[in-house]
Amino acid sequence: MKGIEFLKHVSIGRYVEADSPVHRLTPVAKYLWMMALVLSATVSASAAVVCASAVLPLFFAKLARVRILFLLRGFLPVLPFLGIAAIFQVLFSWPADRSTVLLALGPVTLSAREAVAVALMALRFMAMMSTIGLFTSVTSEGDTARGVEDVFAPLARIGFPARGLALMIAVAFRFIPIVAGEFESVVKAQAARGADFGAGARGPIRKARAYLPLIVPVTIRALERAEALAEAMEARCYGVGPSTRYVDTTGGAADIAARIAAIIYAVGIFAVPVFFAS
Amino acid sequence: MERSSVRRIVVSGALGAVSAVMAVTPLGYLPWFGGASLTIMHIPVIIAAVLEGPVAGTAVGLVFGVTSLVKAATAPIGPLDPLFANPLVSVLPRLFIGFMAWGAFRLFRGKMLPLAAGVAGAVGSITNTILVLLALGLTASEQLSGVIGVQVGALPAVLASIALSNGLVEAAAAAVFTSSVVGAWKGIESARGRAKLSGEGS
Repeated sequence: MKGIEFLKHVSIGRYVEADSPVHRLTPVAKYLWMMALVLSATVSASAAVVCASAVLPLFFAKLARVRILFLLRGFLPVLPFLGIAAIFQVLFSWPADRSTVLLALGPVTLSAREAVAVALMALRFMAMMSTIGLFTSVTSEGDTARGVEDVFAPLARIGFPARGLALMIAVAFRFIPIVAGEFESVVKAQAARGADFGAGARGPIRKARAYLPLIVPVTIRALERAEALAEAMEARCYGVGPSTRYVDTTGGAADIAARIAAIIYAVGIFAVPVFFAS
Repeated sequence: MERSSVRRIVVSGALGAVSAVMAVTPLGYLPWFGGASLTIMHIPVIIAAVLEGPVAGTAVGLVFGVTSLVKAATAPIGPLDPLFANPLVSVLPRLFIGFMAWGAFRLFRGKMLPLAAGVAGAVGSITNTILVLLALGLTASEQLSGVIGVQVGALPAVLASIALSNGLVEAAAAAVFTSSVVGAWKGIESARGRAKLSGEGS
């Protein structure tokens, strides 16, 4: 029976401790850059902007001394799928395609516009993957939660529960290994009683039914732990008075510059296509 | 038992962790006929909405959405995964699951609790299916037609058939799971209320 060790597969954060200009940035600056790059890679229709947002994360990775190959490894499983998409682009031409034909093979033609569409699609994926991969490599779990509070600090003034959201994310991070461990022990306990979660030849309905005695106890256990944690926090007067923070995340001048640069970039991607209409 | 904000936050965090673990392991998928799989990762979101209200549901939905975004961007498995590396597809639709499920639960709360939870599960699941497919259709129609193998013009029909075939079964599964968990939890909670000291497990 394989796939029973869930703990081994649970790796959302893959933070690597290091000292680099990128690591030293505050969580807010990292969040702002991540959002700016993700936004530009998904929303912008301009080829230049998509190229820039694909290249910039690689440049930052170089600065952070994160191996670029490591970031792009996630790109491999996408390649066959991109291939299929490319074939479809080539087979069915755009309705009003007047661009030059690069390659003709009988009735099938590859026009410049089709080639650009395929290349842009690939670049968009690459930009998304390397940006998010880089963020998780240079931001620790604690910073990820604290950063949420800092990013929403302006909204907190009008009543947005930034602190609560940050605490919830921190609790979620802390609970992930616990829940994975609970899943593992419940699966093993059920397997010892003859339950079958593997690739048995029995019908799907029976297999689906086998999940019920797995999901229910794990969720209940998580809720019980949460109640106990909440009680412990209330007993220590959490949330009664104004709370302080142990880790200081106010950055220096370089950090402010990085934040402003991210905002300028995000505004810029919408300005560029206006000025250089292609 | 009165609900404090600390309790609400911590319970949301725990359910967010359940959802995140389901999203990164094969546990989030039920095997189903014809090699298709049903997702049950959104069920913790619905449970949070039923137990702790719409804000908690939305917060757990955010955790679920961001987890699926990060997973799609760092460790994609299926051919559809890369399309979820777009926050408009993976995060935005998931924020509405909690609210819809809570609304459904409110409407039926006066009646039998497991029934209300089941309805909330079904409504939350249908919300997830419809909004995610809608977002996919709007943002990635070209790529999607490449993956499924149909022309862009035929996409709405194909997406609708997915919504009907997979979505309805997922809704039924979500109804069963939600009402089981909520029923079991409410039973434990009321038993603990009667015997406060005996139920201090773990």
